Amino acid sequence: MTAVTWSQVRFAHPDGRTALEGIDLEVAEGDLVLVLGASGSGKSTLCRTVNGLVPHTSGGRFGGVVTVMGRNTSTNRPRDLADVVGFVHQDPEAQFVVDQVEADIAFVLENLGTAPDAMRRRVEESLDALGIAHLRDRSPSSLSGGERQRAAIAGALAAAPSVLVLDEPTSELDPQGADDVLAAVDRLRDDLGTTVVLAEHRLERAGPLADQAVVLEAGVIESRGSVREVLPAYVGAAPVTQLGHLLAWDPVPLTVREARRLAGTMPSPALPPTAPVEAPGDTLATARNLTVGHGRTPVLDDIDLDLGRGEVVALLGRNGSGKTTLLRALAGMHTPSRGRLSVDASVGYVPQNPNALLFAPTVEDELTETLRLRGMPDGGQVESWLQRLDLTALRERHPRSLSAGQRQRVAVATVAVGGAQILLLDEPTRGIDPPSATALETALRDHRQAGGLAVMATHDVELAARVATRVVVLGDGEIVADGPAADVLAGSLFAPQVLRVLPPFLTVDQVAAARGGPATGPRPR
Amino acid sequence: MAVQIAPSPLYVGLVVLICFLLVELHRTDRVLSRAFPVMLGLGVLFAGIRVGLTVLTTHGLGRTVLVTLPEATLPRLLGGFTVGGPIEATVLAQAVADAVPVIGVMAAFGAFNSVVAHHELLRSAPKAFHEPALVVTVAITLVPATMRAFQDTREADQARAGRAGRRGRITRTLLPVLETGMERAVALAESMDSRGFARRQATTTERVGSWFVLFGLSMVAGAFVALVAREQLLAVVLGATGALLVLVAVIVSSRAGDVTRYRPRPLTARDLAVMAAAIGAPFGLAMATALGDTTLTWVPGSPVQAPSVGIGPLLALALLLAPALVPPASTVETARRPHDRAEVVSR
Amino acid sequence: MTMSTTSAARPGGPPTALMYLLMTLVGAAAFLYPFWLPAEGGAATAHSADAPLVAAVIGALVVATLALEVRRGTMNGASVALLAVLATLTGMLRLLDLPGGGSGLFFLAVLAGVAFGPRFGVLLGLAAMATSALLTGGVGPWLPFQMLGLAWMAGGAGLLGRLTARLPPAVEVVVVASYAWVWGFIYGAIPNLWFWPFITGDGPTAWQPGLGLDETISHYWAFYVSTSLAWDAAGATTNAVLILITGVAVLRTLRRFSSRLSPVVELVDLAPPEALALSTVEDLPTRRRCQNR
Repeated sequence: MTAVTWSQVRFAHPDGRTALEGIDLEVAEGDLVLVLGASGSGKSTLCRTVNGLVPHTSGGRFGGVVTVMGRNTSTNRPRDLADVVGFVHQDPEAQFVVDQVEADIAFVLENLGTAPDAMRRRVEESLDALGIAHLRDRSPSSLSGGERQRAAIAGALAAAPSVLVLDEPTSELDPQGADDVLAAVDRLRDDLGTTVVLAEHRLERAGPLADQAVVLEAGVIESRGSVREVLPAYVGAAPVTQLGHLLAWDPVPLTVREARRLAGTMPSPALPPTAPVEAPGDTLATARNLTVGHGRTPVLDDIDLDLGRGEVVALLGRNGSGKTTLLRALAGMHTPSRGRLSVDASVGYVPQNPNALLFAPTVEDELTETLRLRGMPDGGQVESWLQRLDLTALRERHPRSLSAGQRQRVAVATVAVGGAQILLLDEPTRGIDPPSATALETALRDHRQAGGLAVMATHDVELAARVATRVVVLGDGEIVADGPAADVLAGSLFAPQVLRVLPPFLTVDQVAAARGGPATGPRPR
Repeated sequence: MAVQIAPSPLYVGLVVLICFLLVELHRTDRVLSRAFPVMLGLGVLFAGIRVGLTVLTTHGLGRTVLVTLPEATLPRLLGGFTVGGPIEATVLAQAVADAVPVIGVMAAFGAFNSVVAHHELLRSAPKAFHEPALVVTVAITLVPATMRAFQDTREADQARAGRAGRRGRITRTLLPVLETGMERAVALAESMDSRGFARRQATTTERVGSWFVLFGLSMVAGAFVALVAREQLLAVVLGATGALLVLVAVIVSSRAGDVTRYRPRPLTARDLAVMAAAIGAPFGLAMATALGDTTLTWVPGSPVQAPSVGIGPLLALALLLAPALVPPASTVETARRPHDRAEVVSR
Repeated sequence: MTMSTTSAARPGGPPTALMYLLMTLVGAAAFLYPFWLPAEGGAATAHSADAPLVAAVIGALVVATLALEVRRGTMNGASVALLAVLATLTGMLRLLDLPGGGSGLFFLAVLAGVAFGPRFGVLLGLAAMATSALLTGGVGPWLPFQMLGLAWMAGGAGLLGRLTARLPPAVEVVVVASYAWVWGFIYGAIPNLWFWPFITGDGPTAWQPGLGLDETISHYWAFYVSTSLAWDAAGATTNAVLILITGVAVLRTLRRFSSRLSPVVELVDLAPPEALALSTVEDLPTRRRCQNR
């Protein structure tokens, strides 16, 4: 039986932009459908058509029919579908109505007029289904991102809906939180048989869960089918999938485990020549015995570090290991409680959340604003940074109307246009789509070649593998490892996927290069 | 209310002491737990201002002069009265006597704020106020995230502009937070709509409720007119009826909702006992007056006399201690619902 | 879902304008009582602390009726969410002690009223003040009048906004700033007026019932000048200046979101009977167009 059907669905936003065109799709009951596509491709819009948020809450011009469990979303508003569809947004901060988890979960039941005894039971069931019963009395603002999203899912599940829609639920979470959320979704599907529509970027974990995958491009369905059919051609696929596609492995692997088995049996390309490790240029920043924070366990403990020109340094480490603090100390936001930190160049700090920075009416205005604040005339920097980050087509757009990835690029350009020699980036790739990530990497490489230094605090090991020259691993406030990227990433917990499958290669590009000639697999633009 | 009936400084002092005890016993860790000292301080400040103003500007009521200050007559524009001059004991005492109840009222409100969990109040609000109460609930839920957004923005702006960016800093700090807030509102709206929130059309019961409100308010307006016409009894009757009608409107409108409440806090016997005690105290005081006790109000007279106390009023005020005897809910129900606190209504 | 075809499209009940007028009258009268209350006979000073509390109770009554009346219309998730976000921001801005001694309380409420309309403004005034009270000083006996004051300020800004929407942004901002400046004084008078009987007791700055209008006014003026004139002037000016500085950008931002309050939905492909039934049940102004393809 089909849970959700789209029939000739088309939708245009109130301002006229077309978001969806000619959508025909079916989701069987109990299936998990993965919705893929770049930012702005219509993924979010498609998710919102399931429970009627599009068009009733968003406004706009809607054609075609979407049927959910027998109900037509054109004649049923979201509130009428609340008992069959649950919806989870990607922002963990913006979904809570009441300041207590248990009461928030009950919100949907209150609105549906459920009897008090039934409410009690349902809330308990939801808490258990997501494994968050120990968090029931907590305020959502005191929870971690992963816990918050799980609480939001519980809130969407309380009415026992047949369909659950998740719009990029892990894009703003760290890997641990993302794993928790996706594991919970997996359990839900197994235990409750809920139909799940999931829009995701993190395909290493989400790929194996799916029964079906759909790729959207500019509002149109570009491909659909089983996961193994669709993913290899998809730009945002996990590195192991891209690797399998490149080496023509069959069946295309979705997880590291599958890839390892295939690697054992298939021929692997020749080892690459060891690239010479470039010596860093003049030292731009030095830390000696740097300690930040007080007490027995300071946030940073006795750090010794030299950072020089031409380096792209990735700071890796768990949450709370001190990498953000080190970055911010370099930016001048923390004063050392002991030790010395000297920074001999201009510093530009890109915060984790680009929303904290963007306010001007157009992208170009944002960059000119920075120049104005610094008292620098525009000698072409605005233009060059717009080009470097692939923003020239977006220069007249309002920064807040852009997707997350585009905003991140604008934020980097806004900070970098000030001509800082040291660029500090806090989680630059969180929640962004592949094209934006590529543009960012290109910009970092250019910056390095121009003699600058870039330091990123990140959880994204793949990013480090692709662009970092040096990796510093922090644990518990101390430096655990420090050296060239290839050395540190190999044999550590932070190994990129390709490295775990085909050592000593770090990335798909390296494998492609070793085979000689351009890669035949999908390459990010 | 007890303070209103018994404005003698000694009784008021007793009430303040009781309030202090209640606050100490039932203090929570919420941000408003400092409300009691703040309110008390405010009360003392007001009392001080009042005493000062009165003493500086009123003359000729008594014979004992404490000190004489230089005089000054203010220009007509500012009032044209005389400031300074002889400071008289009687005036001072009378002013103090009048000012002390102010402290008592403030202390009562302070205790109320310190001890009552406001969000529990919101949850117990009648269904007629469901949506406005929800707005305030959500607003409070959003506070931590908004504070973080402010912090992030300030840091990002400092890093971007350095010290040079004084001009326009307000805009640069406010706008991103506003934009983020708006975006979050959209996400929240979607979450709420998806979870069934909607305000259906006004139904019959609500229309009826509106008519009750109309009549009730008209009556209150009528009460004002009656007051101007010096018909006090009529004013009281009209006012009370008007208020009652509005209350009926609230009850009627509450029946219209189809929203149920999750785990509402029912009034327990203990709550009722506390409320009875709180009402009993002023009642007891009123009785004492009726029975001829004259110690409730202190009129210093000239020469100044000290205030005195009577047994009856003391007993009545002792009733106010009843909430203090109720152990804080946390020690009784820790295992089950540690986040619930007993509602203490102190007067 | 059963579709009702009998429910009327209009709310019914007593006319809204009349209700708001009545609420304004009663609220204002309750709050302005020092000026018209005659002597009650007996010891005036012993009762001078009573009247403020009675006035506060009546003020609370008016707030309750306002909350009821405002609910009579519609409130969807977007309204609640937008109101809540703005109430939080406004409430928190109140804590900001600005140079010159004002608080940042009303500039955002006024701007939001201009952008979103009178009804939103009234609700925002009530909600922001309530939130602010819960966040800061707690519930005091002057709270009902503060809530009413902010509600009227923001609601009036909504009416103003309808007029100024056609003006060029810079001019509009100046008009709004002037409006806020004037209201700043009115708003400052609210707790001031409430405290007056409490504080003054006897003497030429004091309030006594039955003094007659002239005397009362002169007493009050003396009190006002000596206590809060400077403070209120600072507050009003600060907020007006804030509006001048940030008004254009804030209005632009807020107006981008105003369509969310009542989204316009166009449903192509919907058969006429279904569309008609849907619009009877709908209480939001949505536009339905049906074409049979």
